[in-house]
Amino acid sequence: MNLKISALEFVEEVKSGNITVEEFTAKTIERIDQVDDKLHAFLSVNNDAVDQARSIDKKIKSGESVGACYGMPISIKDNVCIKNSKTTCASKMLENFVAPYDATVISKLKKQDAILIGKVNMDEFAMGLSTEFSAFGPSKNPWNTEYVPGGSSGGSAVSVSAFECVASLGSDTGGSVRNPASFCSTVGYKPTYGLVSRYGLISYANSIEQIGPLTRTVKDTAFILNLIAGIDPNDNTTIDNKNEDYLEGIESGIEGKKIGIITDMIGDGIDPEVLTATKEAISKLEGLGAVCEEVSLDMVKYSVAAYYTITATEAGSNLARYDNLRYGYDFPVEGYEFNSYISKARKNLGPEVTRRMIIGGFVPSAGHTGKYFLKSMKVKSKLTKEINEVFKKFDLLIAPTVPIQPFKIGGKINDPVSLFLIDINTATANLTGKPAISIPFKIVNGLPIGIQLLANSMNDKLLLKAAYALEQTVTLPEVPI
Amino acid sequence: MVAIEEIEHVSKLMKIDVEDHSEYLEKVQTMISYFDILDSAGVESEEISMPEIPIEQLRNDEYIPFDEKLIEKMNHYKGTYVRAPKM
Repeated sequence: MNLKISALEFVEEVKSGNITVEEFTAKTIERIDQVDDKLHAFLSVNNDAVDQARSIDKKIKSGESVGACYGMPISIKDNVCIKNSKTTCASKMLENFVAPYDATVISKLKKQDAILIGKVNMDEFAMGLSTEFSAFGPSKNPWNTEYVPGGSSGGSAVSVSAFECVASLGSDTGGSVRNPASFCSTVGYKPTYGLVSRYGLISYANSIEQIGPLTRTVKDTAFILNLIAGIDPNDNTTIDNKNEDYLEGIESGIEGKKIGIITDMIGDGIDPEVLTATKEAISKLEGLGAVCEEVSLDMVKYSVAAYYTITATEAGSNLARYDNLRYGYDFPVEGYEFNSYISKARKNLGPEVTRRMIIGGFVPSAGHTGKYFLKSMKVKSKLTKEINEVFKKFDLLIAPTVPIQPFKIGGKINDPVSLFLIDINTATANLTGKPAISIPFKIVNGLPIGIQLLANSMNDKLLLKAAYALEQTVTLPEVPI
Repeated sequence: MVAIEEIEHVSKLMKIDVEDHSEYLEKVQTMISYFDILDSAGVESEEISMPEIPIEQLRNDEYIPFDEKLIEKMNHYKGTYVRAPKM
């Protein structure tokens, strides 16, 4: 049984009867048992997965209609609610929280007969970019287990890269899908803001975050996007995508497309290997008939400060609900005054979350809001104007997903600004609502480098076409685990 | 520069029990100092754009019956009430 297949290959194999869903699911769980002690991608595994697989096999045999996933094992970041399953956000605060409803993306995947194979690790409440801030311990990069897998959707990227599932859903607030995708050599997609419903995604920074797929191929991303995109009455920020088919025409190429090289994302601080890989990617795109030219986005250098100010402010508000009364753990109420009880209970939040809550209280407070929060909102507006202008001239933009390669676990944990700056190339897509994708491009010194493409809002289809074209120009080694 | 008193004040406002505020001081200071880069962004005259959704575009309110079993999942409840500490 070969687990090293794409989502579309999986569907074909099941349809043609070469494999059964039960066999594949059982083998996937065996794989998780074998490798996850080393990798720690999973926080919980679905114990009913094999039974669910068997019932899908029955439907196939009896000729009943079967959903487009045909029992595909998909892992889900642990901040997306699955009814009657634990949804911990990798936090001690929610260690025993069982979600009472399905997120919209989950309802959609269930309807298409996906098997939700398990919940995967992340930085606590998605605050981080290395998965080191999970309250349950870090995930490890399958390319080298001494290195971080990126984050915050680190468990998603690890599980796809190490063949512990076929695809995964993560969430991307400032690069949290694309960063781990780049570090683990998977495809990672941040859709146009509003294309995918956030209903049932535990909120961190609502105004910029999106759920997005991590997959082995660009076509798989288009396939998953077809299933999860679209308007949702439970999320008023969603957009009607008119049932766009993102797979249709994906092979049609990028001849004549104009691609802007964002110079502000390949300047100071970039690893020489990452810069070389970016130049190679540009040359490959030119070889495919695209026209590449340098372009500047002046506000990019302020994007990280604006991003952290806005997200900390929204997080400060969103995390106010964790008072241990509505959500929480077993901690008796007797003997406490209301406010001191809540304060005490919140000691179960990890140090990074606590830090961001302090910052989230500080930057919008009286006396500071003009200097930090309002200025950040203005940077966001100006950056959006700048990028909209750029998209009048260019069809797509290119930059490395992350300016550096994966770093050693613990290597940057005490240096918050150095960690912040890892987001420099990804936060722009979130602040401006644009779609962006990380494509596995190169392995240097045994560690992956991903290339990022961005498109204008609702040009997700063009973005996937370009990503597919670039993907076809490279052949990468298999993950060594 | 953030003073220790400000961290104490903000953590109280945010209802976070921090035993040793100095533990957070250095990193919070480093983060906030980095945010000072915003001063050179030259965005003073920029207007903040906000998406607006007309009320008629919002979904209709819909009554969803309450599943009383949900309350049993909470740690501290009595009947259909959540127990909270005295205010």
